[in-house]
Amino acid sequence: MLLPVFTLKLRHKISPRMVAIGRYDGTHPCLAAATQAGKVFIHNPHTRSQHFSASRVYQSPLESDVSLLNINQAVSCLTAGVLNPALGCDALLVGTQTNLLAYDVYNNSDFFYREVADGANAIVLGTLGDISSPLAIIGGNCALQGFDHEGKDLFWTVTGDNVHSLALCDFDGDGKKELLVGSEDFDIRVFKEDEIVAEMTETEVRINLFPFGGNHSRFIGFLLSILDNGTVGVYDKTARYWRIKSKNYAMSIHAFDLNSDGVCELITGWSNGKVDARSDRTGEVIFKDNFSSAIAGVVEGDYRMDGHVQLICCSVDGEIRGYLPGSAEMRGNLMDTSVEQELIRELSQKKQNLLLELRNYEENAKAEWSSPLNEADGQWGIIPANTKLHTALSVNLGSETRAAHTELCISTSNDTIIRAVMIFAEGIFLGESHVVHPSIHSLSSSICIPITPPKDVPVDLHLKTFVGYRSSTQFHVFELTRQLPRFSMYALTSPDSASQPLGYVNFTIAERAQRVFVWLNQNFLLPEDTDIQNAPFQVCFTSLRNGSQLYIKVKLSGEITVKTDDIELAGDIIQSVASFFAIEDLQVEADFPVYFEELRKVLVKVDEYHSVHQKLSADMADNSNLIRSLLVRAEDARLMRDMKTMKNRYMELYDLNKDLLNGYKIRCNNHTELLGNLKAVNQAIQRAGHLRVGKPKNQVITACRDAIRSNNINTLFRIMRVGTTSS
Amino acid sequence: MDLHLHRADYVQVGVTSQKTMKLLPATRGSATQKVVIGDHEGVVLCFGMKKGEAVAVFKTLPGQKIARLELGGILNTPQEKIFVAAGSEIRGFTKRGKQFLSFETNLTESIKAMHISGSDLFLSASYIYSHYCDCKDQHYYLSGDKINDVICLPVERLPHLTPVLACQDRLLRVLQGSDVVFEIEVSGPPTVLALHNGNGGDSGEDVLFGTSDGKLGLVQITAPTPAHKWEIQNEKKRGGILCVDSFDIMGDGVKDLLVGRDDGMVEVYSFNNANEPALRFDQALSESVTSIQGGCVGKDGYDEIVVSTYSGWVTGLTTEPVHKEGGPGEELRLNQETQHKLSCLRSELEQLQLKVTQERERYQQSSQSSQAKSVVPSFSINDKFTLNKDDASYSLILEVQTAIDNVLVQSDVPIDLLDVDKNSAVVSFSSCDAESSDNFLLATYRCQANTTRLELKIRSIEGQYGTLQAYVTPRIQPRTCQVRQYLIKPLSLHQRSHCIDRDRPMNTLTLTGQFSFAEVHSWVVFCLPEVPEKPPAGECVTFYFQNTFLDTQLESTYRKGEGVFKSDNISTISILKDVLSKEATKKKINLNISYEINEMSVKHTLGLIHPKLEYQLLLAKKVQLIDALKELQVHEGNTDFLIPEYRCILEEAERLQEEYKRQPAHLERLYGMITDLFIDKFKFKGTNVKTKVPLLLEILDSYDQNTLIAFFDAA
Repeated sequence: MLLPVFTLKLRHKISPRMVAIGRYDGTHPCLAAATQAGKVFIHNPHTRSQHFSASRVYQSPLESDVSLLNINQAVSCLTAGVLNPALGCDALLVGTQTNLLAYDVYNNSDFFYREVADGANAIVLGTLGDISSPLAIIGGNCALQGFDHEGKDLFWTVTGDNVHSLALCDFDGDGKKELLVGSEDFDIRVFKEDEIVAEMTETEVRINLFPFGGNHSRFIGFLLSILDNGTVGVYDKTARYWRIKSKNYAMSIHAFDLNSDGVCELITGWSNGKVDARSDRTGEVIFKDNFSSAIAGVVEGDYRMDGHVQLICCSVDGEIRGYLPGSAEMRGNLMDTSVEQELIRELSQKKQNLLLELRNYEENAKAEWSSPLNEADGQWGIIPANTKLHTALSVNLGSETRAAHTELCISTSNDTIIRAVMIFAEGIFLGESHVVHPSIHSLSSSICIPITPPKDVPVDLHLKTFVGYRSSTQFHVFELTRQLPRFSMYALTSPDSASQPLGYVNFTIAERAQRVFVWLNQNFLLPEDTDIQNAPFQVCFTSLRNGSQLYIKVKLSGEITVKTDDIELAGDIIQSVASFFAIEDLQVEADFPVYFEELRKVLVKVDEYHSVHQKLSADMADNSNLIRSLLVRAEDARLMRDMKTMKNRYMELYDLNKDLLNGYKIRCNNHTELLGNLKAVNQAIQRAGHLRVGKPKNQVITACRDAIRSNNINTLFRIMRVGTTSS
Repeated sequence: MDLHLHRADYVQVGVTSQKTMKLLPATRGSATQKVVIGDHEGVVLCFGMKKGEAVAVFKTLPGQKIARLELGGILNTPQEKIFVAAGSEIRGFTKRGKQFLSFETNLTESIKAMHISGSDLFLSASYIYSHYCDCKDQHYYLSGDKINDVICLPVERLPHLTPVLACQDRLLRVLQGSDVVFEIEVSGPPTVLALHNGNGGDSGEDVLFGTSDGKLGLVQITAPTPAHKWEIQNEKKRGGILCVDSFDIMGDGVKDLLVGRDDGMVEVYSFNNANEPALRFDQALSESVTSIQGGCVGKDGYDEIVVSTYSGWVTGLTTEPVHKEGGPGEELRLNQETQHKLSCLRSELEQLQLKVTQERERYQQSSQSSQAKSVVPSFSINDKFTLNKDDASYSLILEVQTAIDNVLVQSDVPIDLLDVDKNSAVVSFSSCDAESSDNFLLATYRCQANTTRLELKIRSIEGQYGTLQAYVTPRIQPRTCQVRQYLIKPLSLHQRSHCIDRDRPMNTLTLTGQFSFAEVHSWVVFCLPEVPEKPPAGECVTFYFQNTFLDTQLESTYRKGEGVFKSDNISTISILKDVLSKEATKKKINLNISYEINEMSVKHTLGLIHPKLEYQLLLAKKVQLIDALKELQVHEGNTDFLIPEYRCILEEAERLQEEYKRQPAHLERLYGMITDLFIDKFKFKGTNVKTKVPLLLEILDSYDQNTLIAFFDAA
C-alpha cells in the first residue's frame, strides 16, 4: 500500500488545472497555483527566512511560507518552466483573458507582459519543431500563439474553435516536438509547427491532453481526459488505445511512473476527490487514494529536495499530498488487497458466469422438447428461436408536426414485440444514450426512431433492443451496431434551379465515376434503387437541418463541383473525399459570396471595435488623471476645513467613479464583441484551409495570416478563392 | 485497541437468502469449525478449510430454494443438527450430511423465517406464525403485517415459551401460545432478531433487532413494560441490517456485536462499561451480507468473522495477519498454495469455456429452425424500494448475482432521480415525450465492470402516482433483461406510525357507499405505502400515518360501507378525495363523499412548515456568503474584523456546505407544498386560485410567516 510521503494543508483554495512546480530561484522547487480573487500563490517551504517585499508580491497572512501574487484578473491558465535557457531559473507564466505575463519570481520582475486579444485559455511551455528557443504557447479563441523569452511572437496559427488544452509531444518520433491542441469543436489536432499532421474527433467540448510517450512508454501518444463526461483514455498516435468513462469528472491528468516499472501510468485526479493510477496498457487501476474535495491538479517534482521525484496531488481546498513511487519490492502491488486474492475472486466470478450461461443453454434445450409455443410462455420471455431483428436507416422528410430527420427503423421477423430500444452513441444525443419506450398500448413489432445528429460525423449506434411479448417480464436483449453515415442529414432530392446555391468548390480528382458513387453511397443515405454508372452526373441533396441545397456535379474529366452556401459543409465533403480516395494534396477553387460578404463586414467591424477600444482606453487614462487631481483638491479642502468644497469634490469624484464604471462596462461589451468577431475571422481562415488538403491547406492558412497582418482584405479573399496570393 | 481483519474468500455457492449460513460447533478432533450453507438452488453445503482449500464434508442435491438454515439439537448439548427451511418443508441433517428429518408442514405459503429450540420449532410464512413441538402443531397466529423474523427467548432460562415476531409494521409482537401478549414499537421495520450475547443477556430477555433502514437496538422483553435499552441510529446512511451475531472477536472477554448490512458493510461493535455499543471496525464488501457469524474456520488459533453474501460468497475476515513473520521458506510455500489453487481454477475454467463454446454453437444452430424456442435465462434480482424518513425520498436498491451491464429506469409519473455517491454507474437521461408514450423519465445507468449492486434515489411528489419500472440487464449470455415494477403511490411520502396527536386541528373526509371492507381496504393500499395487502382481521380497522416531509398526520378508519380519513393537512385530504373518487368510478361504485374543513388546520400546517422553511432560507443565505467571506479572510489575513455571525459562518462552513449539498431542492419542495396547500384550500371552497399562484411565489421569495398567513386568509 502506497502512502503519501508528505501531506500539507494550505489554507488557500486552488483553482482547478492551475498548478505548476518550478525552480524559480534555480534550485528550490516551489508550487505555484492560482487561487481566488485573481491571485496566484507560491508555496516555498525551503527558504523560510526570505520574504518578498514588493508591491505585487506579499506575504500571505494565513500561511508563513506562502506568498501571494496579485494578478487582478481571473487567471485562466498557469504554468512554469524554463523560458530563457541562459538564465538557469524557471519563469512563472500566467495567462488571463486579455494578457500573458511571464514573471521572474526570484527577482520579482517581468520577463514580458503581452496583451493577447484572443485570450489565453491554455498554455504550454517548451520547444516546438525547429524553433530553437523555448516558446510559451498559448491557445485562445481559435488562435495559437507562441512567445519567446523576450515576448516576441514567433509562432502563430489558427485552429477550428476555442482552444481548451495544449500539449507538446514528439508525435512522429523525429526528435522534434509537435503541438497537440484540444479545441471546443471536439477535435484534437496535431501541429508540426503550423502544419496540421493529424486530426482526431472526440465526443465532448472540453478536452484535456497530456503528452505521453518517448522513453517512458510503449506508445508515442497522449493521455486524454474529457472534462464534461468523465472520460479518460490513452491514444497511441492517432488511434484510441483504451478509454473508460466514469460518473465523475476528470479534473487533471498526468503521466508518472508510480510503480517503478519503467513505464508511466496515467494518473487522474477526479472531481470527487479520488486520485487513481491506471496502467497505460489496460486502464486497470493499480493505485487509488481519496481526498476530501475535488482534485485541482496533479504535478511532479522533487519537493523534498532529496533527489527523488514525487507525484504531487493538490485538492481545491488546498490539501497537498506527495507520493514517492513504490519500490521495486512491492512488485507493482500498490493496493491494499493482495493480488492473488483478487485474481482468485475474479476467476471464481468468471466460473460462476460460465456456469450460469451453461445452465441457460441447458434450460433452453429442455424448453425445446416441451410443448409448442403458447401465450403463457411469453411471460417468461420465451420467443421463437428464429426471431430476427431488421434495422434500416432512411431519411424522413418530415411532416407538419415533425421536422425532417434521419430515421432508424427496427422490426422483428415475427409476432414478438419490441418493448424498448436503447441507443448508446456518442455526441448525437443529450447524454450518451437515447431510449425509446413506447406506452403499453402501442407496442408493436416495429419501431421507428428519429435521429438528428447535430454534426456531420460518422457515428456508431449501439442498439440494445428488448424483445418479448406483451405480458413479458423478461425480455431478450438483441445487441447490434449500426453506423450512421457522415452526411446522413442530407436527403436526395430533385434539382430545383430556383434556389441553387451561389457558393461552390471546384476540384479535379483522377477517379472513375463509379468510385465516386461508391463514396456517395457510403457517406450519404441514398434510396436503395439509386444507381449511377457513368459520368457526367449530378446529384442534389437537401439539408434536413435548414433546407439548403447541396449539388455535387461530376464531369467526365474527373472535375467535381460541390455547390453549397455552407463553407463548412464543403470543407467536410472535401476532407471526406480526400480520405476516401487517399488524396494527399488537393488544391481547389472556391467561392462563397454570401459567406465572404459576411466576413468582409466582420473585418470592418473588427477595425471599428479596435478604434473604439483605443478611444475608450484614452478616456480611461484621462479620467484617472482627473481622479488624482480631484482627490488632491478634495483633501486640500478638508485640510482647509472647507467642508462645502470638499463635499462637492467628493460628489464629483463619485460621479466620475460612476462614469468609469459605466465606461468599464462598455469596454467589456466592446471586448466581448471584438473577441467574437476575431473568432469569426480565425474560423474563416480555418475553414478556407479546410477546403484544401495537404500542402495547399497550409499555404492558404499562412497566406491568409499574412494578408491579415498587412490588412489587405482583397488579397485575403483572393487567397480564400484560389488558394494562393499570385493571381 | 484497534482491530485489523484480513479478507479471505473461501467458496462460492449459489445465491443465498438471509440467515442461511452457520458454523458448526468445534469438535474435539479439530480446532477449526465447519461451515454449512444453503442456497437458492436448494443445495446444502458443509465444508471445512484444509491448507487454505475448501474441502466439502457433504453436499446435498438441488431442490427448492432454501429460505433459512438453523442449527439445533437437544438442549444443553452442542447444537450440531442442521435444519433447513425450503418451500413449506423442513429438512434436518446430521453434521455428517445424513438426512434424519423431512417434515412437510401444512403451511400454504413458503416458510420465510425459522427458529429452533430443542424440540420446539417456530416457523413463519408471510403472515402466518406456527409453533410445532416434535413436529406436532401447537400454536398458530395470523399477523396483521408481514413477519420478517421469528425468535424465541431461551427456554431453559425462562418459565414459559416466549416467541417474538418481527413484523413489517414496525412492531415486535410478543406471543404466548396463540395470542399476542404485548407489542413493542421500534423505530423502523425490523428485519432481523437475535438473542443478546447469544443467550438473551443477563435476564435472558434481551433481544437485539435490526431494521431495514439500518438501525440497531436492544430491547428487554419484560412483561408488561418492555424496556428499550439502547439504539444505534443510522447516521452514515448505511444499508438495512440483514444479520447480527455476538462473538468476542476483540478478544477482551466480552462478546462483541457483529452486524451485516445489505449494502455490504460488515461492522463490529464492542461494549463499554456502561454496556453501550461503540463501533470498532467496519469493512465494505461489494454486495449484501446475508449471514454473519464469528468463529474459527481458516486457521487454527485465529478467530474470524465468517460472512456469506448475496451471490453466495463465503468470506472470512480473519485476525490472522497476512504478512507471515516466519522464514522465507514458509512464504514460498504459501505462494505455492495459492499458485496451485490458481492453476486448478484456470484449468477448470478452460474446460468450462470449451463446454460453453460448444453449447453456444448449438444454441446458434437452434435459432435456424423455425420450431425451436428460445428461453430467457432467469436470474434473481434482490430489490428493495423504501422510503427514507430523513430526506423524504425513496431509495431503490437492485442487486443481481452477477455483474450488471445496464439498467433502464422508466417512469410514467414525474419524479426526480438524485445522485448517489455510492454508485459509480454513468447516468444518461433521455429526452421523452410524455404525451405520446407515457414516459416522464427515461434514464440509463451504464454500470462499471463488476457492479452487482446499484442504488438509486428517487424523489416523488405527493398526488402524482404511477409506476416506476427498472429494466435490469446483467452481463450474462445470452443477453436478457428483467423488468421490475414499483408503485409510486398517491400519498407516497407517508409512513405508518402507531400514535397520533389528537390536539391538532383536523380536516375530515367521509366516504359512504355500497362497498365492501375488502374494497375500501384495497383503495387504502392503493393510496398509502406500508399497508398490508391482505385485509386485516376484524370489521373495522384504523391506521395512522405520518408525512415524512412535513410531519403532518393522517388517520384512516374504515369498515364496510364507510371510511373516515382525518388529516391536519388539507392537501392530503384533497389528494385522497381525488384518488378515491377516481378509483370508485373505475369500479362503478357510487360514493358519497363529504368533507369537513377546519380553517385552523391551514394555519397549523403553515406553522409546521415555518421552522423548516426558515431554516432552509437561512442555510441557503449562509452558504451563499461562504465564498465571499473566505476571500475576505484570505485578503485580510484574519477574521477579527468580522461580526460574530459571519465568523460563525466561516467556522461552520464545511458543515453548512455539506448539509446544503445533502438536501438539494429542499426549498423548492417546500415551496411546492405551500403552493399545493394554497390551491387545495380554495379548491374545497370551490374557487380556483391558480391565477394567484405567481403572487404567492412572490410572497415566498421574501418570506415572512405572518404575511404568508395573511395572504392565505385574504385570498
